[in-house]
Formats: sequence, C-alpha cells, structure tokens
Amino acid sequence: MHRRSFMQSALLASLAAAGRPGFLRAEVLAPTGPERFAAGLAREPWLAGWKSVAVESLGPTPATIEGNWPGSLTGTLYRNGPARFERGALRYRHWFDGDGMMQAWRFRDGRITHAGRMIATGKFMHEEKAGRFEVRAAGTTIPDAIPARNNDSMNTANTAVVKLGQRVFALWEGGSAYEIDPDTLAARGPTTWRSDLVAAPFSAHPLLERDGSAWNFGSLDFFGTTGLIIWRIGADGALARTAVLESQDLGYLHSFAMTEKYLVFTFMPYRMLPDKGSFFERLQFTPDRACRIALVPKDALDAPRWFEAPFAAIYHFADAYEHRGEVVVRAARHRDIEEARAPMAAAMLGERGTPSSNTELVSLRLSLASGRARWDTQGVSGLEFPTFDARTPGDRPALLFAPASVKPANAPFFNAISSIDTRADRVNVHHYGADVMAEEHLFVPRPGSSKPADGWLVGTLLDFGRGRSGVAVLDAARVQDGPLAIAWVPYTVPLGFHGWFAAG
Amino acid sequence: MKTLLTLPSIAAMWVLAAVANAGELTVTITDIREARGFLMVALVNSDAAWNDQDKPVAAQKVPAAKGEVKLQFKDLMPGAYAVQVMHDENENNQLDTNFLGIPTEGYGFSNNPNVMRKAHYDEARFDVGVEAANITIRLR
Repeated sequence: MHRRSFMQSALLASLAAAGRPGFLRAEVLAPTGPERFAAGLAREPWLAGWKSVAVESLGPTPATIEGNWPGSLTGTLYRNGPARFERGALRYRHWFDGDGMMQAWRFRDGRITHAGRMIATGKFMHEEKAGRFEVRAAGTTIPDAIPARNNDSMNTANTAVVKLGQRVFALWEGGSAYEIDPDTLAARGPTTWRSDLVAAPFSAHPLLERDGSAWNFGSLDFFGTTGLIIWRIGADGALARTAVLESQDLGYLHSFAMTEKYLVFTFMPYRMLPDKGSFFERLQFTPDRACRIALVPKDALDAPRWFEAPFAAIYHFADAYEHRGEVVVRAARHRDIEEARAPMAAAMLGERGTPSSNTELVSLRLSLASGRARWDTQGVSGLEFPTFDARTPGDRPALLFAPASVKPANAPFFNAISSIDTRADRVNVHHYGADVMAEEHLFVPRPGSSKPADGWLVGTLLDFGRGRSGVAVLDAARVQDGPLAIAWVPYTVPLGFHGWFAAG
Repeated sequence: MKTLLTLPSIAAMWVLAAVANAGELTVTITDIREARGFLMVALVNSDAAWNDQDKPVAAQKVPAAKGEVKLQFKDLMPGAYAVQVMHDENENNQLDTNFLGIPTEGYGFSNNPNVMRKAHYDEARFDVGVEAANITIRLR
C-alpha cells in the first residue's frame, strides 16, 4: 500500500483552495444558486426531486392508498438521500453534497405513514447553528470553509441505510456509519466499531450473508493512501473483524459484489487535478487505464487475486455468481464519465441537462483458469440502482430489478421499473408515467416462501405532475402488470439514493 | 506511518525560555467541543521547533472548557511566532489518532490555515511586536 501520510491527503489538503480570493470572487459573481434553482423549478416541476428540504422533520403523515396493499407486507421501508441543498445564498452544485434525510414509510395494520428527519450529523448541527454552509463538501467548493478536524467533519450520512442486527445505520462512503433510532429516526451519532477505527470509512453498500452477518469496505484513497479496509460485521450488528486490502494505485469504488466464496472489488482508475476544488471537482477518471479487480476469498482476506479489465465507470454492482469456471459480476455502467463524476449536475443548478440514464447493464467475467477479465454487455440500457433477491443460488444470474427510462418522459430521470431476466432474455417494464420519477425498488420476499424472486418490489416515486411522493408495491414476478398499490403523501420529498426494508 | 500531529514539544517541554521583557500575546482558543481534558499549547519561533526539532519558546497546559479559553504568553521578544494547540480530551498526553493516523481529538494552529494536515510553520507564522498581540485559534 502506498502510504503517504494523511497530511498529504489528495482529497483534503487541496481543499485549502476554498479560501482563495479567486474562488470567493467567482462565488459572488455567479448567479446565486437558490434563486437560479427556484427559477428552474418554476419552469421544470420535475426539479422537485432536487429541491432543498428546509425543515428538520416531516410527518408522520398518513398516506392515501390507491389499489390493494398486500396484507402480509408489513414493516418499514427506510430511505436515505441528500435533502438539504441550500443555506443562505449558497446552493450545492453536486448532488452528493446535500445533508442526509432519513425517511420511513411504515406499513402496518393496513395503514401507511411517511416520516422524514434530517440526520443530525456533526456537520448538520454545526451548520444549523452557523446558519450557513461552512464545512467542506464532496463536490462543491465552499467559500470560507472552516478548518476540519478529519473526514467525519464532512460526513453527511446521506447515501444509504442498512439494518445490521437490530441496529439501523445511515451510511456515507467517506466516514463513519451514523446509527439511527429505528422508531424516531433520531441520529444516535457516529459509530465507533473499535477504538482505533474512529472515523474509519464504512461505505454505503454493505452486503449481507443469509445468516444476517455483513461485509463492507471503506476506501483509503480519501486519506492520502490507497487500498481498502474490509469490514466483517456479525449477525448481532457488532464488529467481528477487519482487514486491509492493499492496492498500489488510486481507484474509485462506490459498491462491490460478492459470490458465495468471494468478495469482488472493482477499482476505477482516476487522478486528482492538482490543488483546486473539492474531491469530485478534482477527480478525473482515466479511461485510458484499466480497472483493477480484486477477487478476495472470504476465508482468506489476505490473499486477493488481481484481474484487469478495460475501464468502466460504475457506481452500482448487482449480483455476482460463479458458473463454469467464471466469476460473473453484473453492474450498471455509465457511458458518460463526466455524468458519472457529477450525476444530475444540471438539475442541481436548476437546469435540464444530460439524462442520468445513459447507462447499460454489463457483466464482468473473471476467468478463474486464465486469470483474464472482460466485460460483456447485455443489450439492456437506461437503468440504474439495480437490486435482486439475495437468496438466488450462487451459480446463476439473479432476476434483476432496476428503475428504467422509457418514453414518454417529461423529466430526464427514470420513470419506469423493469425486471431483467438475462437467462430467458426477457425484460418486463412498467411505465409509471411521463410525469413520474422512479427510484430504487427493493425486493421483499413473500412471507413463508423461499423461492427466489417470489415476493414484491417496493419502490418510491415522485409524481411531479401532481406534487406528491409515494411508495409502490408490485408483484416481483409480474412487474409489467404495474403496481398492486401505491401509497401517496400530499407533498414531494427530494429523490434519494438507497433504502432498506425491515420486515415486521 | 506518520501520525498527523506529534507534539512531544508540548508534552515534554515545560521549561519556559527566559526572555527579556517585551510583547505579550493573548491566545483565544474557540470551538472547544468538550469540557474535559486539557489544552496543550505550544508557542514556537522557528520551523525546527514547529517540527519538534527544537524546543518551543513556551508551552502551557490548561484545563479545557466548552467553547472558549484564553491564555497569555508574556515577555516575548518581538519577532515571528506560531502556535499549535491540541485538546487532550482523555488526558493521555497525546493527540489521539485512528489506525490511519487521522486525529480524533481537537487541534488547531495560529492563522487557522484551512488544511486537513499539520499546518506548515510558514502557514501558522505571525508577528509579535512590542505591543500586546491577540490571536484566535479555532479548534477543529
């Protein structure tokens, strides 16, 4: 591992540029962010998906149910995503910068309620008091940013949510998991899994074994070094062990995949522009260089096997399986690497820009015999946020579920849900409508059934035509039939990233 | 692996250098998150001392208070100085760090340079004349 000291951190040291007069001047002269966004929202109502939440909490609000909600589908759909984008005259320019809001859609006794609460991170609380953004952000240069103690000073806890044991966590990728009260949604604070791991990155996409134990990683690139920390969390929600995966080069990764035997980490090569701006302003993917892939045996974390495959820009990996001497990992690849660096960047400014759906389903094939790796395309495009039933046997591809983009569409975002069966070469789609935006849909097993993909999809929607947000439930085997029911609340909430369904 | 900040100069060096009567420096330390532990404050006048290769001009260890603490250095010769502060919250005489060497307790530097590393001496340096001087250090 290339261990430069933290003091030379590529991410953090250069952010000193935030205070330079040139940046300050540019900030003052640019059209003020909130005004420009508000003008855009008046023209383009779909921008409600990126509207800043000004309150500390929402609800609980009873939802109006259209259709027949399955009686045995009870529990809580937690959703997390950036929600506070503006303070004073400053609006963030990068979607990933907003402070996280935890939402809970609760399905119980035939009634559905929605609630949301801003996650009281150290950053959020500090800026509530200060009345302005003054903490460095991942993708926007903050004028007059205050000196930060460490990476957790910038933690927005805004990306995902997971339940490990009985504990619910809001996740970011550059710092600690924030534990959340499952009932009140109040933040209990950053989680220290072990005393030497204060502020260690616990990224946003842990993967669970069937026994409820979990794997996760955190990138060490953010700290002036390279490689990963690998986390093993027990079924009780407590730390079982950690390991360090050493890597020689900078490599971005947002999620990973696993088979029954292996963890698969795909590092996307990048370089940092020298001494200017925030992390995502400086990040430059280098598509002329190969992705490096670490295949890590779960029972030998110190014995990774490395592969190389052509560059691919990917946030979200889906299932992985082992078949005929190959480990196959599926993912949503972004064709436009600038869009990948700053998704929905125009929407953040209040403009209609590049759609986020310039993506395609790909399979990464790692040959265990030859040591070679290659990408296959599946002929399925315009999708993101893929999910699947993790109970699918590990020797075959799972049925995938992903928001998709189909016409007619009045917003440059996903407006449909699809199921993708690559073995049968079949894609089923339900179009929610030209004025609806569709988010990640999670698979929920039908109680009492162990058959893979037998269950429901639950996914959130923003209907900008009618100014409402909702949650839909579909039969996972019959996506094309559309929702069995949708529960709506009479307001919109910003689009988020990821959710977690807790049955019960 | 280096840790971000090692301040043995503060912990080990309690001999105040005797200097001729001159300026007085008031240091206001703000943004102290916890009332527990001590603030360890080192005043240096050289790059070597900043990097623990020489003794500081003076060092003070004062109880922490939530919010703000003021302290003074007296009888300073006019010249260039820099101050580094660490908040030893758990009273183990060091700035705690995690496995990556990243600080997990508060720290700060004169001039409050906006860097997430140990500031360089030149970034933290300021002048003290014959008049009383005041600086504010924001703990991070």
